[in-house]
Amino acid sequence: MTAGPAAAAAEAPPAGPSRRLSPAVRRVGWVAIVVAALALLVVASIDGGGAETDAERIQRLTESFACPVCNGESVAESNAAAAATIREFIANEVTAGRSDAEIRDRLVDGYTAKVLRNPPADGVATLVWLLPVLAAVGGAAGVATMMGRRQRAGTTVSDADRELVRRAREALGVTSDGTSGPDAVADEDL
Amino acid sequence: MNATVGFAFVILGLSASVLGAGGGAYALVTGQPKLLRTVRQWAWLVVAAAVGAFAVMEVALFQRDYSLSYVQKVGSSHTPPLFNVAALWSSLEGSILLWALVLGGYLAAVLVKFRRRAADPLVGWALVVMLAVTAFFYALMTGPANPFTTADVPVGFDGPGPNPLLQNHILMAFHPPMLYLGYVGFTVPFAFALAALITGRLGEGWLLETRRWTVAAWGFLTFGIVLGAWWSYEVLGWGGYWAWDAVENASLLPWLTGTAFIHSVIVQERRGMLRVWNLSLLCATFSLTILGTFLTRSGVVESVHAFTEGAVGPWLLTFFGLVAATSIGLIAWRGDALRSTGAIDNPVSREASFLVNNLLFGALAFVILLGTVFPLIAETWNGSRLTIGPPYFNSMGRPLGLALLFLMAAAPLLPWRKASTELLSTRLFWPAVAGVGAMAIALVVGARGTAAVAAFGLGAFAGASALRQVVLACRRSGWRGVVGRTNGGMIVHLGVVLVAVAMAASSSYRSDRTFSMKVGETVNFEGHQLTYVEPGADINERRVRTFAQIQLDGGKTYAPAMTSFRQSGQVVPTPSVRTGLTEDVFLVLDQVPSRADDSIRLRVVIRPLVGWLWVGGGVMALGTALALVPSSRRPIKAGPEAEAAGPTDADAEPPSEPPSAREPELVGD
Repeated sequence: MTAGPAAAAAEAPPAGPSRRLSPAVRRVGWVAIVVAALALLVVASIDGGGAETDAERIQRLTESFACPVCNGESVAESNAAAAATIREFIANEVTAGRSDAEIRDRLVDGYTAKVLRNPPADGVATLVWLLPVLAAVGGAAGVATMMGRRQRAGTTVSDADRELVRRAREALGVTSDGTSGPDAVADEDL
Repeated sequence: MNATVGFAFVILGLSASVLGAGGGAYALVTGQPKLLRTVRQWAWLVVAAAVGAFAVMEVALFQRDYSLSYVQKVGSSHTPPLFNVAALWSSLEGSILLWALVLGGYLAAVLVKFRRRAADPLVGWALVVMLAVTAFFYALMTGPANPFTTADVPVGFDGPGPNPLLQNHILMAFHPPMLYLGYVGFTVPFAFALAALITGRLGEGWLLETRRWTVAAWGFLTFGIVLGAWWSYEVLGWGGYWAWDAVENASLLPWLTGTAFIHSVIVQERRGMLRVWNLSLLCATFSLTILGTFLTRSGVVESVHAFTEGAVGPWLLTFFGLVAATSIGLIAWRGDALRSTGAIDNPVSREASFLVNNLLFGALAFVILLGTVFPLIAETWNGSRLTIGPPYFNSMGRPLGLALLFLMAAAPLLPWRKASTELLSTRLFWPAVAGVGAMAIALVVGARGTAAVAAFGLGAFAGASALRQVVLACRRSGWRGVVGRTNGGMIVHLGVVLVAVAMAASSSYRSDRTFSMKVGETVNFEGHQLTYVEPGADINERRVRTFAQIQLDGGKTYAPAMTSFRQSGQVVPTPSVRTGLTEDVFLVLDQVPSRADDSIRLRVVIRPLVGWLWVGGGVMALGTALALVPSSRRPIKAGPEAEAAGPTDADAEPPSEPPSAREPELVGD
């Protein structure tokens, strides 16, 4: 977990060597990258006993219960003694391997339903989950149709045009993939 | 005396705003250049009124002039000078006063920057819009948020001082002004956007005029939000920095739409597309700053931040409605002229990636807005009280955040128009290797959990990609490779990566335990050894600070405390934090040690990498500053000539749109 920014900084290679990799090597490299990424994610999820670490689970649970003696604060945030007691209780229960439902029931038994922070979804409350999904789908559909429409409506570029541009750019010392010469000023810059 | 002078300044500001805006609009509509020139004088009067009113209030605070009810509320003879300055914005009326001052500052900057173009209708209308906005804030100060109301002074009266939480840390002196510089800064591009709509000069001219202003406002807002998170972490004593509280969300909303705007605006500059969308985003950003102020200042949303309540709610809501209606109306009116000239050729291209970026930021803003106002809607709907807390925002925000990280890695490497698979596989190769490497390292040092590990991988991917761009730019143009909008933007991306990784690590691997300890007792927690050495107290005329000396890992001693403020009688915890490169140990007392042999309740929170959040915020601010330095190849010329010529890109590509796409921007009358 100490890897984050340090890795981002230390591991970023100079951009140069990429130019010397042959396409075949790179293709194999990409397959390796994708396989490794998936494998690492699987390890991350399995080894942690699911998608969540114990600490994450404790955090999520303490955030999902309201401090019974405060106004609007969660058990995770509050410094009230009652909240501290519930935090300890939840930590112990999680370590003991109890399920979310068991912990919730025990807390509701002890403190009544006012400890529930996210009330069970009833008619209106389901909207808060549903609307973003609908909006996202709608937005994505909008962007997709926009791209589709533009593509048809836009000027068509023939292969001859592309060839012309390629030659012109080569003459300027810019290759068509923009990775050599003065490093594809046109692409890299805004 | 102070009250009279202060209120006179408010009245001066209101009259000058109304006369300037009214006179300016009349002059522009009827075409009277002489009358138009007077707008500048009115505007300078508005600036002077803001400075005057602010100065009078500071003087009143330092004189402890309790004849002002505001000073009675937030002043105290015991407040040290720095917090006495900051006391001005510790409550509603004063924060409106600060808003007016910052707005006055931006107004002055616009007046200076565009001093030679007083006759240009675009600048004229922009000033009219800005003066209309100042008129609203001065009107607030004459009505429901009057900072200069007077009150009887009881004999021997001494005020409570600002809310204890607001005078507990030096950051409080900087966080609100920074945030306001951000919020209010969006007024300038908003004013120019409306001016472009009114004058019909809808080319990219107004965008180029205001892009620095937008980036600067965005930078201040970013810095302000990070400072707020830091303050929350250092002062509030709950071990966290972001609670998805309504006030925090209110600051994040314009940040999200503003971020979307500064990205999609590039598409318009380059390709002449997305004009309606960009105008809408900008108007939404400005409206959201007003809506945010409404949500937080009207007391409509219960919030731990609701230090202030007042009758300003209806005013702000009306103004919000007015701004939104005006923007929508103008955009609809100019709809025909806003039709875009460019086209998206391929879904794998820079412009398409900007669209996806906007979709994601838009979705994020929607989720946060919905989650913030949903309890209000539900309550109005059927009276049900429900809470939308962090679990909702986290579960909705996490996938969007990860998608944004991925986009941040790939998008800067995409060329405009169309990317070939070959090019992508070349450019993304080493960044992707860095991403996988980071995931492997994270797993080796013990990180688990799909979302967190994915965040580390994508973070390194995006970081390496941004670094690649910076390195290439530096090879190309030396030290200038880190300045200019593109390169500065990449530095900002590096900061975002630090923030994202810090957030993922500190929220996924947080451990939190409360211990009951007696003097001399030692506990072990997560590989740390904590010893309660002794209690202590630090007493001065302002407050009593009771602390517990805690020796950490046999080394340095930390002193988490409970601070009791004499004037208000409030007790607030004062955490003590050991900040480190890999993790923070956060100590806070749950209970005051009243006697030496009493046991204390010590809460220990361990959060890995959390310090990088502040570093990342700093890097983002630095990147913004660098983005504002003109890059040598494309100097931004002031004046209409540069504007008519459009952006002078050092392009190897032929211009992407026909010259007619940019309307000639004629200087008025």
